[in-house]
Amino acid sequence: MRQLKINLPKCDGGRNCDHECEEACAVKMFKLEDRQGAALHIQALEDGESAAVICDQCGDCVTVCPADALSRNKLGVVMIDKKLCVGCYMCIGFCEKGAFERQPKWLEPYKCTACGICVKACPHAALEIVDVPVPAPRII
Amino acid sequence: MSMIQVNGDPLAWTPGLTVRGLLQAKNYIFPMLIVTIDDRRVERADYDRELIPDGSVVQVIHLLSGG
Amino acid sequence: MSVNPAPTITPCDVDFTKRTEYHEGLEAIRAAHRVLKEVAFAPSLPRKGYNDRTLYVDLTTREVKEKPVTQQMKDLFVGGRGFGLWHLWNAVTPATRWNDPENEIVISPGPVAGITQYPGSGKSLVVSISPQTDIPIDSNVGGYFGPLLKFSGFDALELQGKSDQDVILFIDGQKGIIRVETAPLEPADSHVLAEILTLMYAEDEADRVNISVVCTGAAAEHSLIGMLNFTWWDKRRGCIRLKQAGRGGIGTVFRDKKIRALVCRGPAVKADLNHPVDFETLARTGIKLHQEIRTQDNLQCKMRRNGTAHIVEIMDAYDLLPVHNFQYGSHPDTHKIASYVWEGRCSQMTSDGCWYGCSMGCAKGADGLVLKTGPYKGHMVTVDGPEYENAAGLGSNGGVFDPDSLLELNFYCDTYGICTITYGTLAAFVMECYQRGILNKERTGGLELTWGNAEADLEMMHQMARGEGFGRIAGQGVKKMKELFIANGWGDPQLINDIGMENKGLEYSQYLSKESLAQQGGYALTNKGPQHDEAWVIFMDMVNKQLPTFEDKAEALYYFPLWRTWFGLMGFCKLPWNDVAPADNATTAEPAKIPEHVQNYLALFTATTGIKIDVETMLMQSARVYNFQRIFNIRMGKGLRANDLPPYRAVGPVTREEYESRSERYDKQMLDEIGVDPAGKSIEEKMAITRRYRLDRYSQLCDAVYARRGWTPDGVPTMARLKELGLDVLPEVVDIVKAHGG
Repeated sequence: MRQLKINLPKCDGGRNCDHECEEACAVKMFKLEDRQGAALHIQALEDGESAAVICDQCGDCVTVCPADALSRNKLGVVMIDKKLCVGCYMCIGFCEKGAFERQPKWLEPYKCTACGICVKACPHAALEIVDVPVPAPRII
Repeated sequence: MSMIQVNGDPLAWTPGLTVRGLLQAKNYIFPMLIVTIDDRRVERADYDRELIPDGSVVQVIHLLSGG
Repeated sequence: MSVNPAPTITPCDVDFTKRTEYHEGLEAIRAAHRVLKEVAFAPSLPRKGYNDRTLYVDLTTREVKEKPVTQQMKDLFVGGRGFGLWHLWNAVTPATRWNDPENEIVISPGPVAGITQYPGSGKSLVVSISPQTDIPIDSNVGGYFGPLLKFSGFDALELQGKSDQDVILFIDGQKGIIRVETAPLEPADSHVLAEILTLMYAEDEADRVNISVVCTGAAAEHSLIGMLNFTWWDKRRGCIRLKQAGRGGIGTVFRDKKIRALVCRGPAVKADLNHPVDFETLARTGIKLHQEIRTQDNLQCKMRRNGTAHIVEIMDAYDLLPVHNFQYGSHPDTHKIASYVWEGRCSQMTSDGCWYGCSMGCAKGADGLVLKTGPYKGHMVTVDGPEYENAAGLGSNGGVFDPDSLLELNFYCDTYGICTITYGTLAAFVMECYQRGILNKERTGGLELTWGNAEADLEMMHQMARGEGFGRIAGQGVKKMKELFIANGWGDPQLINDIGMENKGLEYSQYLSKESLAQQGGYALTNKGPQHDEAWVIFMDMVNKQLPTFEDKAEALYYFPLWRTWFGLMGFCKLPWNDVAPADNATTAEPAKIPEHVQNYLALFTATTGIKIDVETMLMQSARVYNFQRIFNIRMGKGLRANDLPPYRAVGPVTREEYESRSERYDKQMLDEIGVDPAGKSIEEKMAITRRYRLDRYSQLCDAVYARRGWTPDGVPTMARLKELGLDVLPEVVDIVKAHGG
């Protein structure tokens, strides 16, 4: 499946960049005003390392959704069908990575679709799109 | 004989009695418990190693069940 | 019994999309319908939780009309059970019996019902005059019907009168049409009927989730214990699922009115159809609970894995699991029906909430069961359950410890439309009568109803569905069976009365109250009858010893029934309140109340309706409805102290064996509490002393509870209490209170 992957040693968490990844995602992909609403987040840690919140397409949310609104597309990426979504936010609550997002102005939450726009934007080439096996669904 | 109190009732005490041991002895298998030893709360993570001193007043408060 | 460590659980790998299907004859069934009445209406969505109108249907005249929701209704009754009781009060007279045409079935969700963010927010309350008790029964139920009814445009549905032929009432909230149609060919039993109707009324496959059916089954026509199933369409399984408005026999009233089914087709569900005042609070609070359930449920009650069946082995460990008609509290075979058994039988890889947004997801389904008996023998079905009540009631209480038999009993109760709690308790009574020679093969028509004889138990149920044989007698319920057996001279009247576990005509639910004075009151000092809906105080009383005095017990029996009543005004399910707790709950001042959750619920009400509320106001909302219901009971001829007396089996040891099974405890109590030395006394003497003592203690409990509730010593709400609650604006209510010394 198609998956966004970050090389954390290469990411400097915004110390020497302008969070271009978040900027590109929020503004270009989701048409939001600022990078707070991006579907990925990078963070500079005190010890000099970086951390990131990224959707790894694990599929927990697919199992949990009561409206069957989440499913994998042909590329294996987990996508939301907004028509089916009932805005219960169980996906947000059950995502262990905290990778789901919502905006007060939208009833449906949203997430990374592995579109790759952040990959091009990153000045440190810390992001890449990879192809990995689809994990087995787990009991959650 | 050495004794402790558990929820107001006397219970024989033996050296090395842990919270876990007490719960097993009383068959307190309900999962939502609040355990205090002489009014000091014991976290669930410490049940296996927290020793109960002789003469303690122990409370094992069970939260509600029966939906 | 010390619980064996749970064995390794192999996850259920049954293909949950496979089962016997029933829609082959659908077109012929549909073609046979005739439309008797069709009415157009303007669908609407609630504003701040209310549509401000209810739907009334008279099945005799086929009148269909809208009634307004008045401000007084909202102020005094709020919604849910309150609206139901108010409509029912206005529909009936003190002389009304359950099968009179003026009796109503009222279904009312509540102002918060239908939000999708917070677990357990899709409930409805169903109210009617019960065939078992002759007073109002209120029964709470999940499934999609209530929310879809709201999103079609109605805060409640009132059904009065009786049809002259089987009909379906169809409410189409998308097209704005209400139809009464004949249903000449429809099958009787729910698992078949609901599937056919869901497929029939949905425009296409995607529309099935917008359909909910209310129906019952064959046994509801031949017994007093019929219940109502409320469905939802399980997309992943591709089948209907059932939740029950179980207690009190409302399904019997339904069939007496010749309603075959109610069908509601609602609009596509979205996050904000209630038009709440403050959506953000709903979203944030819901997400918080989902996270709490994700992180805590596996460490706490494992509701997502086992549903309410997680407490089977727990009740056994605490001597509270009903065994052999509430004689004992544990059994060596309990491990055969413990939670880990069900974890392996219920499919885990799906989403099992009975309304959107319920991440507690306790509506587990046991898929792939091939039935061994009855009209559907050989069919493969999905069983909704088992819940704790089923495992205990149909299982341990009757001595049945075989999981497959238990699932089959559960399944047939559901499809035949009878309450599993009621059936479990009446079957246990029948079995004890059989064991004691009160019943025998001759009297049961050949059924050897001994402990654990699941085959005979199932056959009794099949007879009930066919309206034949001993099953027909059993379907009258414990109270009427006691009267019959005594009238026939089949056994000692005192023994029969002692072991028949009913109060006010309703069977006890599946917890032993024998050793908890507070729970004896929790069961018998209820409005509807001994359903633990109002109070579950056994641990507080027996284990924590937090209720040592009568005043302490009375305080618990004041607060908890009111708090728990509130859920039924709103459309909330109680389980997410106390079957999961925040990680820091233990550090709060009153952890048993789960204070953060209480605040969540108040916030959800305010966020939906805009009405500010705190704990005191919340208690007032409940107290109005609670006291109104008590007065309604008095109006209908019960509701007084004499009706609040439990059978002795609920209070103490009836038989030698019961005394001997706990003789150490009972002897010690005699010495410590009664101040009488048991030494040298016969069992009979000791039992008599214990009985006198315990019944006197119960009487003192009544005094304390009535006083705390603002009632007279006869259990009548006082005028002072009425004034406090603002119920004195209702003249008929005042008249009743005054007539009974309030």
